[in-house]
Amino acid sequence: MAESPTVESVAAVLDLRALTGGRLLDDVPCYISIQDRQFRILEANRKLKEDFGEHLSEHCYTVFKGRIEPCPECPVARTFQDHQEHTSSETIFDRSGLPHAVIVKTSPLHGPSGEIVAVMELFADITVQKELENRLHDSLTRFHNLFDVVPCYVSVHDRDFRIVEANQRFKESFSRRLGGYCYEIYKRRTEPCTSCPVADAFADGRSHSDEQVVIDNAGRQLHVVVYTAPVRDPRGRITDVMQVAADITEMRSLQDQLASLGRLVGGIAHSIKNVLEGLRGGVYVANLGFRDQNQADIQTGWGMIQRNVDRLSAMILDMLYCAKERSPRPLPVCLPEVTRAVLQLFGARAADSGVKLEAQIADDLPDLLGEPRDIHSLISNLVGNALDACYTDQDERKSPRVMVRVFREDQQAVIEVADNGTGMDEETRGKLFTMFFSTKGASGTGLGLVVARKVVSEHGGTISVDSTPEQGSTFTVKLPLGGPP
Amino acid sequence: MTAEAGPMKKILVVDDEPDVCLYLSRLLQENGYAAASAADGLEAMQAVERDQPDLITLDLSMPNKSGVRFYREIKARADLKDIPVVFVTGVTGLGGSSADTARFYSTRSQVPPPDGFIAKPIDPHEVLDTVGRLLHRSG
Repeated sequence: MAESPTVESVAAVLDLRALTGGRLLDDVPCYISIQDRQFRILEANRKLKEDFGEHLSEHCYTVFKGRIEPCPECPVARTFQDHQEHTSSETIFDRSGLPHAVIVKTSPLHGPSGEIVAVMELFADITVQKELENRLHDSLTRFHNLFDVVPCYVSVHDRDFRIVEANQRFKESFSRRLGGYCYEIYKRRTEPCTSCPVADAFADGRSHSDEQVVIDNAGRQLHVVVYTAPVRDPRGRITDVMQVAADITEMRSLQDQLASLGRLVGGIAHSIKNVLEGLRGGVYVANLGFRDQNQADIQTGWGMIQRNVDRLSAMILDMLYCAKERSPRPLPVCLPEVTRAVLQLFGARAADSGVKLEAQIADDLPDLLGEPRDIHSLISNLVGNALDACYTDQDERKSPRVMVRVFREDQQAVIEVADNGTGMDEETRGKLFTMFFSTKGASGTGLGLVVARKVVSEHGGTISVDSTPEQGSTFTVKLPLGGPP
Repeated sequence: MTAEAGPMKKILVVDDEPDVCLYLSRLLQENGYAAASAADGLEAMQAVERDQPDLITLDLSMPNKSGVRFYREIKARADLKDIPVVFVTGVTGLGGSSADTARFYSTRSQVPPPDGFIAKPIDPHEVLDTVGRLLHRSG
């Protein structure tokens, strides 16, 4: 065309009123406008005029969007271009500036010769729906966040025991992917569990609870308390069951520790009771001696008292040592020197018992960092035990011997105490480092190895034992040369 | 309480604690009994066969269940089962607990119960009463 047609000429061609059906389109609850190729509004229905004002001949992009140029993705433009209907979703602003979310549908209007002279645009206001949609989305997001942050493992199981939904914690601990079978994922079973609170909830539509042991994806066992509840659809049918599992592993572990503490207290009472027995006995016998002027009784009785006082002292020192949490001062410890001192201490006792006490000490060993007294205590414990093992061994064919070796291995000092005495069976070896366990009856405090292990661990080292019943045992201690890490 | 007239009754004290053996032996000797001691089940069996005691006091809390084994052995022997045995029990603590004692009875119902119990800490009067009662009755 040489010049763009005027609004009036187009309107005349179209006989718009007739086209738009007069009142019908005026009353529909959406906005209808008709634009020409220049995006000028040729006609608008009443609703549009009410909310947006009288804007005939103005550009639609100005009226609806406050723009000074056409919108980039304009369905009206597209319809003019390809003669097809188009749909899009837009936001338009009414005369008060309020935004309306709308679905827009455009249709071409043809002139008498079949050319497109105008495009009808129909706006369906979906503001309310949009608002609801947003609120729903927010709700879901919030719900999902709560679901994820709940400090429990939450999972939703279908009737086949597949996990159809799970919270973040569950995914992190058990399975990131959904759809697997719960009994495979955290029970490592090939078929459903015999006693299952999920199955129970499906069966009777009620909540159930259980205490279980499950296995996480790192292979660790966890104690959990499990609650299940049915999930129903709008018709009331149970579609899934939700399971919430709370981790009580730590609590159970604390319970175990508490029980151990109880046993410990019992052990202490027992040990003290034995010492008391000895003290009373000593007092009784000594009193007999004083009464009858019997020297033998006085000596025996008094010896019993002294012995048991010593035992009590040793026991209390050991207990205090075990109870204290402390890190050793980093003093230089010359291991060869300390070892020789211990060997000297035990020399007489070894000779009396007929046990050969031998040593191989590497004198070029660099100093350790730690508490000299503790290291002395550690080696004394091991040597004392080794001597006892030889002494209680009643095998006369053996020549009892304890060998102490001190040497360097890379960045560690190694202390090895080996005896060829009674040896230990599996069961004894297992209980070795527990408190108040002693194979020596009355003469053991039961704390020696516990103290030894504490010293070793405070110095950043390791202690291990190798033993064959009737052949002997070897205790190996390794301590880092630079001191504890 | 002193022993009745006649040959002195012999009592064997079995306990792994040497001081308990000393104490009990001396206590019994002071009260007219002859006493010997043994530190474990093995020594106890040797002493029983050697000395034929009239009564045995037995510590159940000795290591390796030595006391329990000894008790079962003598109760299984016709020549020894009639010697009265008094258990000396520590009621709490490791070994010789009341649980051990109860278990002992529940698993071996054919082993007869002992003739007496003395709880630790040892009360000398209780020891003498129990021993006296048992030896008078069997004497």
